[in-house]
Amino acid sequence: MLLPTFEFHEPLSIKDALKLKKSLGEDAKLLAGGTDLLVHLKKKLITTNNLISLSGIKALSLITKEKNAVIIGSCTTMTQLSSTPIIQKNFPALKAGCDNLGTHLIRNRATIGGNACNASPAGDTLPALLIYDALALLETSDKKREIPMADFFTGPGKSCIQPDEILTGFRLPIPGKNSGAHYIQLGKRKSSEINLVNVAAFLKYDPDTKKIIDARIALGSVAATPIRSPKAESTLMGQTPEEACFFAAGEMARREDCHPIDDFRGSARYRQAMVGVLTKRTLTRAYELARSACI
Amino acid sequence: MKKIIRLTINNQSHEIAVEPNLTLADMLRYQLALTGTKKGCDTGDCGACTVIMDGNAVNSCLVLAVQANGSVIETIEGLTTAEGLAPLQEAFVEKGAIQCGFCSPGMILSAKNLLDKNPNPSEQEIREGISGNLCRCTGYQKIFEAIESQSS
Repeated sequence: MLLPTFEFHEPLSIKDALKLKKSLGEDAKLLAGGTDLLVHLKKKLITTNNLISLSGIKALSLITKEKNAVIIGSCTTMTQLSSTPIIQKNFPALKAGCDNLGTHLIRNRATIGGNACNASPAGDTLPALLIYDALALLETSDKKREIPMADFFTGPGKSCIQPDEILTGFRLPIPGKNSGAHYIQLGKRKSSEINLVNVAAFLKYDPDTKKIIDARIALGSVAATPIRSPKAESTLMGQTPEEACFFAAGEMARREDCHPIDDFRGSARYRQAMVGVLTKRTLTRAYELARSACI
Repeated sequence: MKKIIRLTINNQSHEIAVEPNLTLADMLRYQLALTGTKKGCDTGDCGACTVIMDGNAVNSCLVLAVQANGSVIETIEGLTTAEGLAPLQEAFVEKGAIQCGFCSPGMILSAKNLLDKNPNPSEQEIREGISGNLCRCTGYQKIFEAIESQSS
């Protein structure tokens, strides 16, 4: 398959990239890992006269720690994230997402910013970004803004990024003590698969009262975008973490919070049933991790 | 407009003029005649075009040649020395891990990258290490055995 012709730009700073994006207009596409964009260009799903490569901007592929948060550059690769100790320690559900994306060949190129901008409902890192309350860091040449990931997606393949904006990274608050999170993806094969259903869950509990004080659940592949599961989350608040309440949350997520469709990968009914099962399993594991972390 | 890129391929430095829309796979095959790198799906699913770029195995069909500017590339041609095939290649021959041979260059480079990073991989790690490379002859077990024989 031939790629269409385009001009290639390789700015070395975010400032230069923003200038280029502004002058070239809406038509210019940003190239990060290229594992989705180059395929879309080859298949003529999108066209462009200008590609702006972000690979030359070192600041975009850094993972840095702030006082209570970690900043992940948008061009950080899956392999890089998965092998970084601060991610392994604080964000296991994100690491699990990175480890499940595509194949090892894809993971060596694919970036977290690319995964978010591609905005697939089935994206592997997206449920984790939702449950860790990540903020998307967006920049234009004259202003910066931070958008909660829960407001980032506007449809399949669509996000709230404006034409003159660049996603520079994500800010992830470090989860406090007594918390745990987990991610499970379901597909027909283990590698190079587009998920049938993917679920991430985060739990925090009070070790004195033994009650759940924070619960976040994110569902993938069962709506037009990756979504939070607010009704299931609210059933957990103030409850004692145990199987019955995890089951009830799964039931709520399945009945109220997801809107899957039938396609050749699976039926809506099957997906819905699996939302219930996977929600319960991710919550159970998240609680185990939360408990083992405080021992 | 063509761009001049400089890169190291199999320990040799090259300076090449490439069109921006040329992939690394096409540059290796059509401009440098390194046809050991195969093209299967051209969309990053099959792994036939695997090369090692700066120490990481990648799908060269999903890397633009211009993006490889300044990088160090290893292709299947780089494994063979004056003494002959590399031990890993010998193992593929010995164990019957080559049938039609189309997936072999990619498979061997994925295996090399795995063994370079992890000289003693577990069974699971070997299987995961080649999970991005498809073998239409389905000779996975012998490929697995060839790689296992090279773990230290």
